[in-house]
Amino acid sequence: MHAEPTTTPRGDASIRHDLERDALAQHPRLVLARQRRHRALARAEARATRRARESAATGQPRRNLRWQDRVLLCLAVALMLMLILRLETAQADAAFGLELQPLADAVTAVDTALGNGTANPAASVQPDVQLALDTLVHVEVTGLVARVRVAQTFTNDSAQWVEGTYRYPLPDGAAVDRLWIRAGERVLEGEIHEREQATRVYQAARDAGHTAGLVTQERAHQFSTRIANIGPGEDIHVVIAYLVNVDFSDGRFGLRLPMTFTPRFETGPSSLAPRPTYTSVTNFPTQPGAPDRRLRLQVDLLTGIDLDAIRSLHHDVDIEPRKDGYRVTLNDGLATPDRDFELSWAPMLDEDARAALHTWDDGEYVYAQLMLVPPRDEALAPQPREVIFIIDTSGSMMGASIDQARLALARGIEGLAPGDRFNVIEFNSETRSLWDSSVSVTDANREQALSFVKSLDADGGTMMAPALRAALRQPTHPGLLRQVVFVTDGAVGNEQDLLALVANELGEARLFTVAIGSAPNSGFMRKAAEIGRGHPTHIGQLDQVGERMTALWNRIRLPAVSGIRLDWGAGVEYYPEIIPDLYAGEPLWVVARLPRMPSGVEVVGELNGSEWRHFATPAVTDGGETLATLWARQKVEALQDATVFGADPEWTRAAVTDLALDYELLTQWTSLVAVDKTPSRPQGATMAAGEVPSLLPAGSAARTAGFPATATGWKTQMLLALLVLAVSGGLFARPFFRFPKFRSPAKSLRALSVAWKTR
Amino acid sequence: MILRRYCAAALAVAALFLIAQAAWIPAKAWLGQRLLENAWQRVLAGEPDARPWPWADTSPVAELLIPALGTRHLVVAGASGRNLAWAPAALTPVNGRDIIVSAHRDTHFSALRDLEDGAIIVLRTPASEHRFRVTKQEVIDSRDTQLVIDDTRNRLTLVTCWPFDALDPGGPLRRVITALPA
Repeated sequence: MHAEPTTTPRGDASIRHDLERDALAQHPRLVLARQRRHRALARAEARATRRARESAATGQPRRNLRWQDRVLLCLAVALMLMLILRLETAQADAAFGLELQPLADAVTAVDTALGNGTANPAASVQPDVQLALDTLVHVEVTGLVARVRVAQTFTNDSAQWVEGTYRYPLPDGAAVDRLWIRAGERVLEGEIHEREQATRVYQAARDAGHTAGLVTQERAHQFSTRIANIGPGEDIHVVIAYLVNVDFSDGRFGLRLPMTFTPRFETGPSSLAPRPTYTSVTNFPTQPGAPDRRLRLQVDLLTGIDLDAIRSLHHDVDIEPRKDGYRVTLNDGLATPDRDFELSWAPMLDEDARAALHTWDDGEYVYAQLMLVPPRDEALAPQPREVIFIIDTSGSMMGASIDQARLALARGIEGLAPGDRFNVIEFNSETRSLWDSSVSVTDANREQALSFVKSLDADGGTMMAPALRAALRQPTHPGLLRQVVFVTDGAVGNEQDLLALVANELGEARLFTVAIGSAPNSGFMRKAAEIGRGHPTHIGQLDQVGERMTALWNRIRLPAVSGIRLDWGAGVEYYPEIIPDLYAGEPLWVVARLPRMPSGVEVVGELNGSEWRHFATPAVTDGGETLATLWARQKVEALQDATVFGADPEWTRAAVTDLALDYELLTQWTSLVAVDKTPSRPQGATMAAGEVPSLLPAGSAARTAGFPATATGWKTQMLLALLVLAVSGGLFARPFFRFPKFRSPAKSLRALSVAWKTR
Repeated sequence: MILRRYCAAALAVAALFLIAQAAWIPAKAWLGQRLLENAWQRVLAGEPDARPWPWADTSPVAELLIPALGTRHLVVAGASGRNLAWAPAALTPVNGRDIIVSAHRDTHFSALRDLEDGAIIVLRTPASEHRFRVTKQEVIDSRDTQLVIDDTRNRLTLVTCWPFDALDPGGPLRRVITALPA
């Protein structure tokens, strides 16, 4: 309460004191302070009455929150928020998997790296010596086969002796069979040896100072060339030759050469391939006219074709007519290495040609290539069919895979036509069929199926056999072709049993596998589709679902020539061993080795319920010796596939090696090695290792894997939990402690100074 | 102080839940190894594809020993998030030549921080026993690096997150340890 000036006399001293106080009481500052106190008091009283009224209304006493409580409550709310966020991120973390990135992404990564100008420290491992490189690609197309020669020039800019390593991408199914090395005046020709032996020969030559070259198969579509003892300032020319089948679709031939070089580093023997950095890009300049690295390309088409029909899809080309065909060259002479080279041309095929047979006799055997051309699209009406979708919902599909599978199924269901029938089966440890037997395609059924698919979650084990059996054993509908679309990652252990099951139970049905995810069991999926007389499809990423499913749909919507049998005569060995159905727009190659020249090949199949029969008479082609190489290449693939059926890997290895040595073929287990007999590097001079940035085509997914998330963060979580517990404890303990009363520092100071003055 | 008590109680419950959840991770890692042990014995006895528990979708494929660190782990096939919780997981088939094994930095592979170059790693499969020697340990950024699977080379690659003590479990860095046949 404010002090009233007192008038009670208390003697001199006290009178004087009172007078002073009265005077002081009139001091403006004290008057102001007094007024402030009055106002604060009035406010406090108002608050107290209001609270009393409120508590009377609610019947509960409400007490003032002290500052300690406020701090604790704020902390509590903040922690609650953190908890909620944390749980959410924990869930997000759970949805990861192995990711296989197509290398097309890497190009964007380069752009980003260029934009930022930042190089990733992990990728900054530099080869000791930079090697310049000049590449000339020469293609000769004869009939159905392209003979490709890749001539590369390694130039050693340094003052050291070096060993160059270069990885080169090849098209699918390329059969590498030749290696030449030209060093100065000397030309060395490579020989096929068993891989280990070839490596030993090469290493011995390298260490002894001889010029030597070694070509090995690194992965399915990637080959590596190593050249030892390139002298300072010296040029070495290396030529690798391979054969590749020409593609055929929609009535046109096509040749696709991986030209989209995505630079990629591989740091020595490590398994890491950091994506490109700034440095590796400048190693391969994209500026036209750059002097030291050139890429020239020349294609000779030695087949009967129309000039108008030649098209280069991504590059400007010059087309020059020659007496035996056409020569196609890149018109700037230097490819900007950002696009694959794709050439497409229309053959002058006989309209009625259904089967073409090319043969070549090497004296011991006759090699033959049979091309089966499917009936034209226009002649066929889409066939009604019964589609049974099987979707894998086992635990291994958890994450991105199940999303892709669900979307693929939704696309499939949308793609059904009226008149079709369909059913959906999901399996994990249990098999669950949406309907007991397939239903006709109506809007209501479609809706029901789509909502069923949407509700699927990945959990549990992978019991694939019951689902396959359920699909194949459902009651059949006469007149409808049963197509089983099997969506899975193929993560199973009993592959051989499953393949046997497909073979036994298939009947008239067709099995189409849709491999989902970054690292599906593609060997199994391919083999299952082959035995199921269907076709494998691979969907690696969510954005591929639409495109791949449309392709699959276009393929299976039209009737195919089924049950194809080939009559070659006795003693034939042909590949593929199981002749698949002949789908519209996609011809089929069969390569064979026969003991003697056949008079012809009888092809019998069934199309729309009636017989489809053709007789192909042999025609001898130029460059026929390539047929032997192609046959051997197909046999190698068939042998490697046999491991899926449980063939002993060692046996496969031996068989492939023998075959490859006979036919001079580069495989996983055989390498090409060339050695110069005269030493070129003087004794005592050391050799450095140079590595040309390894180049891979964009879009061709090399076998790579992303990194799984390998931290659980449980320690962080534990820490957070203990903190929460401490705060909660603090809140509980609050009533039993007297926290020090809060004073503002200014007030405390004033109190101190008053205490000092009145001491 | 009703509000305060409610808050305190809610926080205490949340804290206990979090503790249980956090503790479940190392517990699962420990338990997984114990459960796999039995399945591994059956695998060694010749039973193919022995499941550690009936609904499991993987089985032990190898035994990974690092004598220098005194660790022994059973490795399962398939590096899915679910598998990694229980055991180190092989990204590639262990009977192949290029073997990649991955595990959590704060459970099974926590000891790898003390791994030194030249240390011996033993990978025992039902068929054979391989000895590898650590030749390289590096830290990479998983955002711009990929593992190249190359069956022409015989080697063992161990992958885990890095740094080992990071608070954030979602970091991009990885410890990659390359070991070649000893």
